[in-house]
Amino acid sequence: MLSALLFCVGSFGFLARRNAIAMLMSIELMLNAVNLAIVAFGAFVPALQNRASIIALTVMAVAAAEATVGLAIVIAIYRNRRTPLVDEYASMRE
Amino acid sequence: MTSPAELLALAPLALVAGLAMLVIVVDMIRPGRDSLVTAVAVIGLVAAIVVTALVWTTGTRELFDGAYVRDDLTNFLDLLFLSIALLTILFSPDYLRPRALPMAEFASTLLFAISGAMLLGASRDLLVLFLGLELLVLPGYMLAGFAKRDGFSTEGAIKYFLLGSFSSAILLFGLALTWGYTGSTRVTDVASYLEGVVAGNQALSPALVMGLALLTTGAAFKIAAVPFHYWTPDAYQGSPTPVTGYLSVGPKVAAFALILRLFVEALSPLKGDWVAIVVVLAALTMTLGNLVALTQDNIKRMLAYSSIAHTGYILVGLAAFAASPRGSEAERAGLFGLLFYSLAYAFMNLGAFGVVAALQRRPGVTSQISSFSGLGRRALGPALLMTLFLLSLTGIPPLAGFFAKAYVILPALQAGGVWLPLLAVIAVLNAAAAAFYYLRVIIVMFVQDPPENAAGVSTGRAMGVGLAATAILTIVIGVVPTFVDITQRAANALLAPL
Repeated sequence: MLSALLFCVGSFGFLARRNAIAMLMSIELMLNAVNLAIVAFGAFVPALQNRASIIALTVMAVAAAEATVGLAIVIAIYRNRRTPLVDEYASMRE
Repeated sequence: MTSPAELLALAPLALVAGLAMLVIVVDMIRPGRDSLVTAVAVIGLVAAIVVTALVWTTGTRELFDGAYVRDDLTNFLDLLFLSIALLTILFSPDYLRPRALPMAEFASTLLFAISGAMLLGASRDLLVLFLGLELLVLPGYMLAGFAKRDGFSTEGAIKYFLLGSFSSAILLFGLALTWGYTGSTRVTDVASYLEGVVAGNQALSPALVMGLALLTTGAAFKIAAVPFHYWTPDAYQGSPTPVTGYLSVGPKVAAFALILRLFVEALSPLKGDWVAIVVVLAALTMTLGNLVALTQDNIKRMLAYSSIAHTGYILVGLAAFAASPRGSEAERAGLFGLLFYSLAYAFMNLGAFGVVAALQRRPGVTSQISSFSGLGRRALGPALLMTLFLLSLTGIPPLAGFFAKAYVILPALQAGGVWLPLLAVIAVLNAAAAAFYYLRVIIVMFVQDPPENAAGVSTGRAMGVGLAATAILTIVIGVVPTFVDITQRAANALLAPL
């Protein structure tokens, strides 16, 4: 239940925020919500107990990798544009 | 314990991952030798293709307790992914060198992405599927932002990254819910659980339905189906051209591999429930992709929208599979159409982007369609090749694109019902509409006069080989029965009982 709530907060944050860093944080929040769901399944359903921790750890590793790549891209674009606001990244629209 | 024979089944994947590291090591020992790096990568990929072909003769094998499977589908997809990587590497030196972008990092990142695609195509476990997907897309984001001093490239990369990881999170939440309610991450167990639910006429628990909806959304983002396509044009236009070529086929085919493993294998008991969504997605994707492509002046953006439209055609094959009764001929034909379309689309689209990259060997050539004007008089070779690829994308017989379209549209007609034949009609109308914007480029190339200061087009040796290979494949794929045979085997492997 809590994890679904957290996931919704994360996705709302992603859709509502216009700062690239804040959007990145929202994505992390969504991934953590997934982790919470996985751990909760492990805790409450006996049949899933021994898998839950492995899956949660894998998800954490992937989330870390994703944050690394994301921050690198944000830094690259900040050097070009001097702004973290995604609304201003619109040079290709026509 | 894994036996040597089982390790052999892992060989293609291990080879590509090893090659990615080898490329970096070679660059460390001899820095700045781009041609050496290209040679190592090309030789390694050719070796991997040969190994995959040899492994194919040893038959189906399951590893790691059924989490990794090497069947006909895996081998088919591996060969396709390896060819995509090989062609992309052949196309890239001509584009990267004049812009002083490093070749070794490019090749290595691309090879890691391809190893992710190969893992994705071979996995029968939800967690491994997710790992393969991330291994595929994370290097993809880096490739999109590869020209890091270029504002367009980084802008495309950040849009690709934000929406890509957003959709990954959605997909992952769907996977977690599916795992929690079916009790297993194995595709086979999920399928048999759902089989039981359907056979017993029980209702699915709401949370599981929620999970499946999230899975659908995540997968639709990954294949760039309308209305989840917003990242595509910007990511494609901004990326360096060889990367755009790769992004438009590699991750797309891999995302369809994900759909095959997830929806066709794990969720096929529920296919009556998700067929409606696929039909709507396919119709929207084709129509919107083609309509917006009509108005584009930038060739990369136009090809981006056309690739969205092609996603729609491929989805027609999936819809035909989902709408036909189990074990019927149309069901198999739908999957065959999906796979064959992916195969043909990969080569013709890569070829088209290859020609664009060849034109842009001189920095400063924009990707406006006007930079093609009079190409037929300036450089006949590239102009003829571009014509070939565009005609194939239009679907003119006897090129690959024609057979591909026929193989997805016919099963949709066979599937029966009201909606599927209607979808087939929409597909045919779309193919006709698409001809306008493909032919427009051809007219610009041959009818308009070249601009005053236009220079000829020179291509490097690697580029020449790559273009020749894609052109030959575009011509022969539809005609030579070998390609049809291996695609048939891959489709059959999907329908074999788990």
